[in-house]
Amino acid sequence: MTLFRSPGRIAAIVVVLVLFVLPPLWLLLSALKPQSEIFQWPPSLWPEHFTLENFQKTISRANFGIYFLNSAIVSVSSALLSVAMSVMAGYALAKFRFKGDTVIFLLIMSAVMVPLQIVLIPVFLVLRDLGLLNTLWGLIIAPAATPTGVFLMRQYITSIPDNLIEAARIEGTPEWRILLRIIVPLALPAIGTLLAFNLVWRWNDYLWPFLIINQQEQWTVQLAIANSIGRFSINWPRLLSMTVLSILPMLVIFIALQKTLMNGLMAGATKE
Amino acid sequence: MSGGDRMQLNARGGSAAGLMRLAGRTSWPYFLLLPTVALLFAFTLYPLLQGLWMSLFRRGLVVVPQVPDSIPVFVGLDNYLQLFADKDFVVSLLRTVLFVAVAVPLQLAAALGLALLLAPQTRFNAVIRTIVFFPSMISGLIIGVIWAWLFARNSGLVNYGLSLLGIPAVPWLEQDQLAQIAIVVAWVWGGAGFNMMILIAGLTAIPKDLYEAAAIDGTSPWRTFTRITLPLLEPSIVVVAVLGVLGAFQVYEIVVSLTTGGPGRATVFLVQNIYETAFKKPNQAGLAAAQSGVLFVILMVLTILQLRVVRRRG
Repeated sequence: MTLFRSPGRIAAIVVVLVLFVLPPLWLLLSALKPQSEIFQWPPSLWPEHFTLENFQKTISRANFGIYFLNSAIVSVSSALLSVAMSVMAGYALAKFRFKGDTVIFLLIMSAVMVPLQIVLIPVFLVLRDLGLLNTLWGLIIAPAATPTGVFLMRQYITSIPDNLIEAARIEGTPEWRILLRIIVPLALPAIGTLLAFNLVWRWNDYLWPFLIINQQEQWTVQLAIANSIGRFSINWPRLLSMTVLSILPMLVIFIALQKTLMNGLMAGATKE
Repeated sequence: MSGGDRMQLNARGGSAAGLMRLAGRTSWPYFLLLPTVALLFAFTLYPLLQGLWMSLFRRGLVVVPQVPDSIPVFVGLDNYLQLFADKDFVVSLLRTVLFVAVAVPLQLAAALGLALLLAPQTRFNAVIRTIVFFPSMISGLIIGVIWAWLFARNSGLVNYGLSLLGIPAVPWLEQDQLAQIAIVVAWVWGGAGFNMMILIAGLTAIPKDLYEAAAIDGTSPWRTFTRITLPLLEPSIVVVAVLGVLGAFQVYEIVVSLTTGGPGRATVFLVQNIYETAFKKPNQAGLAAAQSGVLFVILMVLTILQLRVVRRRG
């Protein structure tokens, strides 16, 4: 690990910083420029006139608030649903032996191999038959079952000592109370991590809403962004400001939960 | 757990078995699994089988009795045979394979470079890692927007940088190969940080005394890298490569915002082609399902190959 020595290392760090700081920063700075300055050549690296004009215009368009609200409703509800389901399934697989347990576990994990991209058409038909097309319910329910979530919860709950559960059973505690009063509190760190992941995944979803939503009042932020990209003309001031606004919630989550997300993702990825 | 506890559990035939007896023959675990299994069945497993079944028919996406061509007709493997003559499909498949072959090694190299640079556990490195990781938090769509703006011909930062070097404006998103390069750049940028974290985890697991021994022996940094770091990092590299290949075969979102498949069809990859066949061409849902079938087989074969490699090595 002594491959990079001082001068080379400093140069490399500078290159990395330029490559990774500049693109998002350029997006932000451009969004803060007045319309005339956005397209100016040569471009002003630092805005000559800072303005929130683009953001004001974007936000004041009646629908943008709705798109944001739709995205928020969908990501929060779907994340909560997904975590609840993952805790239940993870608990069952971690602490119970029952007929078919291995088969069910393998079945759940095999879904990792089937991304939405290869089942677009039949999923569309299933959604239609269930009456979930053009509803936010479709966006909440359809992506909620994740093998990754079940796997994470199963791994975590396995480490909870059996004798806590046994003791509760001997005292005659009902099963649902054991889950809510013993398992859930003890699994809170994993639940928090999984909740954060799900919020990010669902906020960033594009393919699901693309497949499910047709009516503009139900667009999510990602759909609104995709739909504002015409093939031949793009309203850049609007697109830039919309993009910056769509990143903000993820930025907040990332800053708040940075360690959890980076290490959690890592653990999940290396275990797959 | 203390030794006494363990003895007690063993006496009852192991903890899990003991639990099962105490729980009785309840349907509780099945109930707990029901929501997950039901949703995975409805939105993953059933659609997979349904899709493979559909690929054996000529049919419309939605069956309308008034439209004869939309009514399913069994054609066996005919759709698969037709695919080979379907220029749009063949071209998009080859283009996707080429994309995988170029983008995945580049991303792996970038992630490896970043990991080697930023693996030492210092506060400074932790900050830089966070910055490099950030693109993993945003959607492919947004990554496409960021790069579309950077590559813009007459207002983009990339062309501005080139102009400082005296290079005239490059029409990045307007020429086939340049647009394809743009997609590769954006894709590598978007995923490098995530893969870097996997590789850093692998690097941290390499025993320090190996490096100390190499240093004492006066081994050159390059030899240390090729003889110690690379071989011991191999499991992590395999993970990165496999996740990369699987992800790259499904490339789509980034294209939507960066090029929308253009110029012409120069950046239409497999997933977009499937979608357009199913939803934009009349009564070709069977063909689209067959294309999905091809993609599924590719992904499955690659996953199994990877499992083999990992098992043989590990």
